[in-house]
Amino acid sequence: MILVIDASNKHKFTSYMNDMFRLRARVFGERMGWDVTIQDGMERDKFDDLNPAYAVGLDDQGQVVSCVRALQTTGPHMLADVFSTILNGEPPLRSPTLWESTRFCVDTKRLRGKDGMTVSFATCELMIASLEAAKNAGITDIVTVIDPLMDRILKRSDNAPYGYVGKQTDMGKVPALAALLDCTDERINRLRNFAGIHHDVFISEDEITAAAHFQPANAPEKPRIDLHSYCNEQIASAENETEKAAALALQQALAHRFQSARAIDA
Amino acid sequence: MKQADLIDHFDLNAISGRDGGFTDILFQMREKFGFDHVAYAGVNPIKGTTHGHMTYDDAWADHYVKKEYYRIDPTLTEARRSIAPVDWGRLEHTRNFKTVFRDAHDFNISNTGLTIPVHGPYGDIGGLSLTSNLPAADFHKLRQETISDLQSMAVYFHDLIIRSDPLSRILNQPNLSARETEILQWIAAGKSQQDIGDILSISHRTVEVHLRSARTKLAALTTPQAIGRAISLGLVYPE
Repeated sequence: MILVIDASNKHKFTSYMNDMFRLRARVFGERMGWDVTIQDGMERDKFDDLNPAYAVGLDDQGQVVSCVRALQTTGPHMLADVFSTILNGEPPLRSPTLWESTRFCVDTKRLRGKDGMTVSFATCELMIASLEAAKNAGITDIVTVIDPLMDRILKRSDNAPYGYVGKQTDMGKVPALAALLDCTDERINRLRNFAGIHHDVFISEDEITAAAHFQPANAPEKPRIDLHSYCNEQIASAENETEKAAALALQQALAHRFQSARAIDA
Repeated sequence: MKQADLIDHFDLNAISGRDGGFTDILFQMREKFGFDHVAYAGVNPIKGTTHGHMTYDDAWADHYVKKEYYRIDPTLTEARRSIAPVDWGRLEHTRNFKTVFRDAHDFNISNTGLTIPVHGPYGDIGGLSLTSNLPAADFHKLRQETISDLQSMAVYFHDLIIRSDPLSRILNQPNLSARETEILQWIAAGKSQQDIGDILSISHRTVEVHLRSARTKLAALTTPQAIGRAISLGLVYPE
């Protein structure tokens, strides 16, 4: 299921946002070797400060497994700036009905390691959501900055780009290119048929809040206090080196609990 | 393309000189798209000015300005931070929301509406707001049918406002790509989009995307208007 996060609701979902930035760090920093800035294990750039819209994919456990970011092409966006080499020095497209999609990624490591959702399902669900969210906003086309592997995935899922702008350009370990997709029912239906996905892919804010509300009854006992803040407080308030070392050791020992103890920041 | 149908019928010649014709465009939008009221508010950081235009009655407009609601109105301050259109039903009912909409109700202004945010290249932001008294289902239908055109109109209107300032106009000189210029040149030579796709070995939808971008950069609503402007700027040669 896909959650749309933007300026109007991001304050409710900071924990998902942080997981998304961590996923991006793993994919774009480590795997693809792009020249991205990673801080505290999270990949963020200046475009994240411009209130873009994100589509964030969650698995049944409520873990972030995929994400993508949309920006308007009428204002600052990546092809006008950091990806301008793809355009060979040409000015970028600017249109009210064209969005730019960047940072599309799927947590292949997590999904390959277990039963349940497949990489292909997660990829298709996110693509369907991006096209539908854009279409609902009156957007007719998307220009998307992707790597050649993603380009092949698009073609294989009956979702081939109808065109490209600029040229394929080296970005790190992997080159990047800019592809065009129309946000039409025809394309969405082809993709849905390919993936066998016929349900509503979006999860609403209310549904997610309700799910979080019911979690304590079904889920294993969760720590009653926020361990992460507790450890940080202990480290900050340590009065000598011994106390500090003990607090750091505690943090280390509990690190895995931070991963499993996630909740929605209300 | 179907998308331009509504927009093609905008009578730009009928726009009078009053306030640069801005309010007249909003009245035309109200008429063509079938909303009750249309309002625009934007900020030009280069000139340091704010701009507001609306189809509301003077009584509400005066009250709104006197109370300085444009400082707190969430349909402006909240909604224009997003990139997607914001349906007012999604806004949180904060104190500011209640303050503005309680008064709006007294002036018979509907709380059913949406805001289309616009973000320009130089930090300029704006929002086009549309209200309706239609029942929810009908409003949803109207929104679906008009949303794409409204996106185009919102950016067009915003660019007109920003370009009314001479300095901003210089900064916003149309920056056409070689591809966009090439396509405009072929259209000026009488070729159809299908022909141009064949000539350039690109899909006709790729031609359409470049053409739409060229129209936006030239602050034109229609292709003939864009060609005219491109010729007058010496970017394209008349055939």
